[in-house]
Amino acid sequence: MSTVTGYRLPVTGDGPATGNRQPATFEFEGVVRLTRIGVSFVIFTVIIGFAAINTGNNALYIGLSFMLGCLLLSGVASKNGLQQLNVEFERVQEAWAGRPAEGKLRIANRSTVWNVRDVIVTSPELAAPIFIPILNRRSEVRVDASFLFAKRGIVQLKVIDLYTRYPFGFFFKKRRAKISGEVVVFPKLLDEHSERERFRPVDGDLHPSNRAGIGTDVHSFREYVRGDSWRHIYWKKSASLGRWIVKQTEVEAARAVQVVVDPFKPHGTSDDDFERMVSEATTFIYDALRRGLDVMLAMPRISLRARPGEPATAMFRALAVLEPVHEPVAQAIDRNAVVFAVRRSDELKTA
Amino acid sequence: MSSKQHELELLLLTMFSAVPLYGTAAISITPLIVFHVVMLLLVLRVATGHDPELIPLPLMRVLAVAYILFYIVDAAVISRSAIAASTHLVLFIAAYQPMEPVSRRKESQRLLTAALIFVASVATSTHIAIVPFVIAFAFLLFRELIHLSHADSVQTAGVSAAEPPSGRAAAFYVFGTTAIGILLFPMLPRVRNPFVPGFIGSLNNASTGLSDTINFNDQRTIANDATVVSRVWMGQEAIPFFTPLRLRGVIYEHFKNNIWHQGRRDLMSVSTRDGVSEIARGSGFSSRATVQQRFILGTRLFLPSGTYQVIGVPQIYEYPTRDIYTAWQSRGEVVNFDVRLAWSTNPLHVQRVSVTDYPVTPPVLAMARQIVGNETDPMKQAARIESYLSTHFQYVPDPSQLGARMNVDQFLLRVHRGHCEYFAAGMVALMTALDVPARIVGGFYGGKLNPLTGYFVVRREDAHAWVEVFDGNGWRTFDPTPPSLRPGNAQSGLLAAYASALSDSINYFWDRYILTFGLADQIALAIELISQTRSFLAGLNRSSRTAVSNLLTIRSLIALAIMVGLALITIWIVNRRRPAFEMLRDHLRARGIEVGPSMTMEEALIELRAKEPGVADALHPLIALYEEERFSEHSIAAREQIRRRLAELQASARA
Repeated sequence: MSTVTGYRLPVTGDGPATGNRQPATFEFEGVVRLTRIGVSFVIFTVIIGFAAINTGNNALYIGLSFMLGCLLLSGVASKNGLQQLNVEFERVQEAWAGRPAEGKLRIANRSTVWNVRDVIVTSPELAAPIFIPILNRRSEVRVDASFLFAKRGIVQLKVIDLYTRYPFGFFFKKRRAKISGEVVVFPKLLDEHSERERFRPVDGDLHPSNRAGIGTDVHSFREYVRGDSWRHIYWKKSASLGRWIVKQTEVEAARAVQVVVDPFKPHGTSDDDFERMVSEATTFIYDALRRGLDVMLAMPRISLRARPGEPATAMFRALAVLEPVHEPVAQAIDRNAVVFAVRRSDELKTA
Repeated sequence: MSSKQHELELLLLTMFSAVPLYGTAAISITPLIVFHVVMLLLVLRVATGHDPELIPLPLMRVLAVAYILFYIVDAAVISRSAIAASTHLVLFIAAYQPMEPVSRRKESQRLLTAALIFVASVATSTHIAIVPFVIAFAFLLFRELIHLSHADSVQTAGVSAAEPPSGRAAAFYVFGTTAIGILLFPMLPRVRNPFVPGFIGSLNNASTGLSDTINFNDQRTIANDATVVSRVWMGQEAIPFFTPLRLRGVIYEHFKNNIWHQGRRDLMSVSTRDGVSEIARGSGFSSRATVQQRFILGTRLFLPSGTYQVIGVPQIYEYPTRDIYTAWQSRGEVVNFDVRLAWSTNPLHVQRVSVTDYPVTPPVLAMARQIVGNETDPMKQAARIESYLSTHFQYVPDPSQLGARMNVDQFLLRVHRGHCEYFAAGMVALMTALDVPARIVGGFYGGKLNPLTGYFVVRREDAHAWVEVFDGNGWRTFDPTPPSLRPGNAQSGLLAAYASALSDSINYFWDRYILTFGLADQIALAIELISQTRSFLAGLNRSSRTAVSNLLTIRSLIALAIMVGLALITIWIVNRRRPAFEMLRDHLRARGIEVGPSMTMEEALIELRAKEPGVADALHPLIALYEEERFSEHSIAAREQIRRRLAELQASARA
């Protein structure tokens, strides 16, 4: 197996940041298109055929046989070549709605006969089509693919389109290949300046870390184990209990911010409003983590905590799959918590 | 491929496409040379890093417009042929395209132009030597098409991507296309347009047997030309009777101003019934022969002496003279037909013949009387004259050795040396002196047996002239030229003969199965295929019946039962030894989950869970068991458990 870097193609339309990719100009429904040179070749073949039949000249029949053979072989080669391609979705590193996400596709040519060249891979989920110069028979390549998902949530990758003109460029063949893959797309992050500035003043509150580590406050006591420093032995308690007891300190209290996301979507509000609220919450959490704050996220039946430098995948995944509810949900809200909720325009917005 | 290399390849391809035109003589050589010189200059310019704009663009455009008018002049006045003028036009376009910047970029059109030139070359070529040209052209064309396909793809896509090498790919597709072409060639319908028939004009100043006249005022030149005129196959029993072959093509029976002319006659159709054209009445030993003849003089047929029936030529005319025949068919190079030969033939209708108008002088009359003596039977007189000339006169194969021109009287009375036309004309003059009707026949003589294929080959260099004398009922053949020196009797070494036979066999195959492959061959092929299929099916039926009757013996049944039992045991053992992975994979496949080479069972289970959670739950412990067996350090006999459990699952699914 070899790894190749596919050539990512520019896309017509509004560009990747706006969401779903617009189909490129060459894409079409169906399985085959006759190209311009293909049309010329077919017309030429018809003329030669007419001349051969008209004159009975076997030399022309030889030419006609070759030309028909060429057309036939071209069709068979491109069809069989594409048919034998097997596409597998490998993975996407981290997918955010509206942003290109790097991933990998594995494309295997299972044919024992046909090499396939000039393959263009497209899909609604790909940020840009991928160009593969050659796929040798019985070989496999891994290509970098840039995905672009319009919305948050769980996206099922089901089909991918493969195009080729190979070998002679008479036909532009297409095959829709089935793939199976699932990507959790995190909510869309809002624009750097306009949105994040809103939350810049939020510094968070000092919050006990509840973690053993270097600090001054006592976190807990435990029995001495081999390797513990003698300096941490709590002599007074060890003497009273008659065995070695070690004092553990607590990591300094971190600045933390509590975020509450209310999934209630009142009547009169749109899905876009809800999505925007989720995006705002996500952008806030993302920004807070980048600023070194601990984040505690509270949603109905879910409470998650993330610390700077640690993956906050679970938190973003929870936001990715958050569904709106149509009845108010009771949630305990801390006095200093930042609450994200959708409100009708006549209600006061929080945060 | 760099753009420079590509441009060079495209120019060379266009040049190459016109090369076969030199051999086919479809157009004169001058425009071809001009074309190649211009293209060569373009190649040199591109190779040295210049644009191929040899002529300034405005001038080139003016020339292009002017050529439209020139085309009409060319077709009407210069080449006097629409095909030749069109070929000139395409050559001009092929040279114009690389010089004009907009056309230069339209590579597909340039390829099409090259293909058009090549088709023009192929269409007018009938020799097997064209095959390597076709293959080489196809290779170059496919390379260009693959390149173009890549260029179009990257242009559509808007990327720049290196092109993989295309030489092997092009060779692969040439092989594939050739294979498909060979299969398609016999299947394409040979339905010729009946409105494009034709007699093609005669040759002037050609060698003996082909020219319109025998002109003793000019010195004849003979060139050694090994072109095959005819191939004749006949059965072993017929060979002693009808060889050496004499292929009759021209009859000279009028003399004027030292020139022998053909007799004039209107077009007379020969009646044809069931594909058989009757041209004479045969008597004596008769046999059938197959002829493959190249049209070298219009569509005139060179029939072997003794022919009384022609089979397989749709329509025959007695033209341009009596006892000479021409086929009516569309333009073609080679024709296949059968003939019936008889030891003796007579005309279908009574012919009124007269002695020729040769002006017999007293010395010639005296010579004739001296040769025949007191013999009065015209046939015996002819035999004596034939014998006298062949023994007392010297044959000179090369007319240029004769020196000064001479007439027939000088040949007979003074020089006594000459080529076959002098011998034939001398005999006719002597027979005329005796008031016996005689005529000169031009054609081909001899025919070498090809030991590889069993047919006789007659070449253009075997052209010859002989005499026919009328015996009151029909014409009898006499040949006063010394037999050992006649053109068709030339001998060659064993190796040369073998090489010639081999080369001719290949040519024969080409002529017979490619050039002359027609509707009748297609029908014959279809009948043969049907017949073969029928006999195969009948054979199969017979053998299956025999096999069934043989199988129904107790011994066979016991043997069969043992074999089936062994097979079942083998399958059972193999099935029990199947790895757990394969069992699980097959089970998942039945559920629509394809476990690929890079997929784990866990991943497959996740996929299954998304589709059928219940089945996934049932399968989960089995996959855990498999993974434990596969990956744990201690051995676990999980395979049997998995097999049993899977069988239960399948049974419950069926229920």
